[in-house]
Amino acid sequence: MSLSDIPWNHFGPINHLPTRHHSASGLYPQHPHSSAFLDHGFTQLSSAFYHPNPHFFFNMNTLSTDEMETFQKLSNEFQANVQGPAVSARQSSGAIAVEYANADPAFVTKTNALAVTHPLSRTMKGDGNCGWRAVAFGYFENLLNLQNMLQVHRELVRIKSLNVLLDQTGQQEHLYEIFVDATEGVFNQISEAIQNGIQDEGFLVNAFNDEYNSNAIITHFRLLTSAWMKLNPHRYQAFLSLPLDQYCATRIDTVRTEIDEVGLQALVDGVIEASGFAVEIMYLDRSEGEVVTPHLLTPTRPTAATICLLYRPGHYDLLYPAEPTVNMEPVVNYQYAMTSNYSPWDQGALAFDVNTSLMSIPNLMMDPSFGMAPSPMPAAPPSPYRVSPPLEVYQSPMHASPPPPPVSLASPPPPPRMSAPPPPMSSLPPRSSDGPQIRLNPLVMKPNLSHSLPVTTPFKNSPYNQAHFQNQDFEPIHWEPSDSRR
Amino acid sequence: MGSQKRIAKELAELVESPPQGIVVRLADESNLYAWNVYMDGPADSPYYQGKFLLNLSLPIEYPFKPPTVNFKTKIYHPNVTNDDKGSMCLGMLRADEWKPSSRIHAVLEFARQLLAEPMPDDAIEGRIAEQYKNDRKRYDEVAKEWTRKYAIES
Repeated sequence: MSLSDIPWNHFGPINHLPTRHHSASGLYPQHPHSSAFLDHGFTQLSSAFYHPNPHFFFNMNTLSTDEMETFQKLSNEFQANVQGPAVSARQSSGAIAVEYANADPAFVTKTNALAVTHPLSRTMKGDGNCGWRAVAFGYFENLLNLQNMLQVHRELVRIKSLNVLLDQTGQQEHLYEIFVDATEGVFNQISEAIQNGIQDEGFLVNAFNDEYNSNAIITHFRLLTSAWMKLNPHRYQAFLSLPLDQYCATRIDTVRTEIDEVGLQALVDGVIEASGFAVEIMYLDRSEGEVVTPHLLTPTRPTAATICLLYRPGHYDLLYPAEPTVNMEPVVNYQYAMTSNYSPWDQGALAFDVNTSLMSIPNLMMDPSFGMAPSPMPAAPPSPYRVSPPLEVYQSPMHASPPPPPVSLASPPPPPRMSAPPPPMSSLPPRSSDGPQIRLNPLVMKPNLSHSLPVTTPFKNSPYNQAHFQNQDFEPIHWEPSDSRR
Repeated sequence: MGSQKRIAKELAELVESPPQGIVVRLADESNLYAWNVYMDGPADSPYYQGKFLLNLSLPIEYPFKPPTVNFKTKIYHPNVTNDDKGSMCLGMLRADEWKPSSRIHAVLEFARQLLAEPMPDDAIEGRIAEQYKNDRKRYDEVAKEWTRKYAIES
């Protein structure tokens, strides 16, 4: 993809986290190439000139050389005191919303929406490597989640083959091999985990919290990115304000320089893209809109995994989207279709216009007011950037052939997940204008049976379901292809 | 650990084919992280014919942090502290400019080049830098004098 697609304007006025760290031992004067602090100081200085309060007036001339040296030394030695692990455990994205509770309304709206669409997040330490670390960790984590030995092996071979790029750009093997070794170590850990059936990513978190390991992997990814850029200068030079070699030397090859848009695109292009994974950034800023601004760094294509980054000016974290397609699958329907001798049910029981996502809320269907709702409500605001919106509406059984009892094939099979938008409401059967907006099971109307509303029985996870192991009359479901696949 | 593997390889390379005018030895055979560097003063510099001993010390985080270089032989130079530490910290030796892909070979060449061409704009010793820029003759004299006094065995 082209760099021109990158939204360059997503820089809000806030800057939560330090993006530069001057960790050099202090010597005076500052080297001209690393004068970020001085620039910053002068900005403050000029604004001080216009400050109405004379006490704020600050004049360089009043400082003695010794004082200036002292300040210079302090600034050079400054290292932000960033707490916390390099990579945190997964945590609720609600914490991000809480962080912004008193901030600009744009942030409040967006962070609240974010907590719904991406309920989990993982914090990266803001030590100058967060963007690099987020991508690298996300890459390995997705590889673990896919649980595919073959793919892990293929990726290891691919990443190691990228050594050619390093050789082509004059890097020497005896200098870079320890970085490649560290990366390979993580691949091996993942293979081992998959072999042992381990899905928990705790060992990856540990690997990235080991300082040497983490530095080595990030340096490996940095060097690959740098080499990739040098070998494909035409793709990047136009976006750089300085010669590409100099850019790589001062921004990519260093130890703690934060990644910028161009560097991130090059990292994705050169190292990640060939894995087939997608990389998506959610920009959290004060731009217009109700939700964070998404941006896909990889070509649009079907993908098995997505590394989802949260970007706030100067900082990257990882995000984990909700998995609505899994929860909203009409499981009830499948279950029903699988049983042929399921006595407590009659076909009327399935005749609800059931919103499958709402059905997962216990007792909701008991609420009489629900029946009065004009239409099924989506459980969550549909996320605007999802290629395939989740299936939100239960397919009504109207299209099926007259269902004989039992109701084995009462509804048509659910549409493939990657298909079109949710079925329009017009596809629902016509309703009578009077009476409740749902067609109730006749049993509901019998007062004696109200304690055992059949509405609860279809829940797969309910002990009222005969197919649930805690049910008194537990009876496992027997799947009979002849019945369900007619 | 990876860093030892790399240090060992770099040391082997430097012992086998050192940069011009430089000899490298471990200060202590049991410690890979402290090196003695013997550096000849470059020709066409006031340090010519001097033999300077430098300590090169590798941090435990190497190569993610740069090595530190100290002149153990006293030297009159704008970029070397005029104290018993003799420290030198500029350019690639600064932590924020250091690249993990740099090699010690380059560090040593950089240090020797600095003897031939001081960088007065990045000076640590302001007065020597002033003198270097404004009164080169006097600077040369003092630097030669110090070289004779401290760096040449009689």
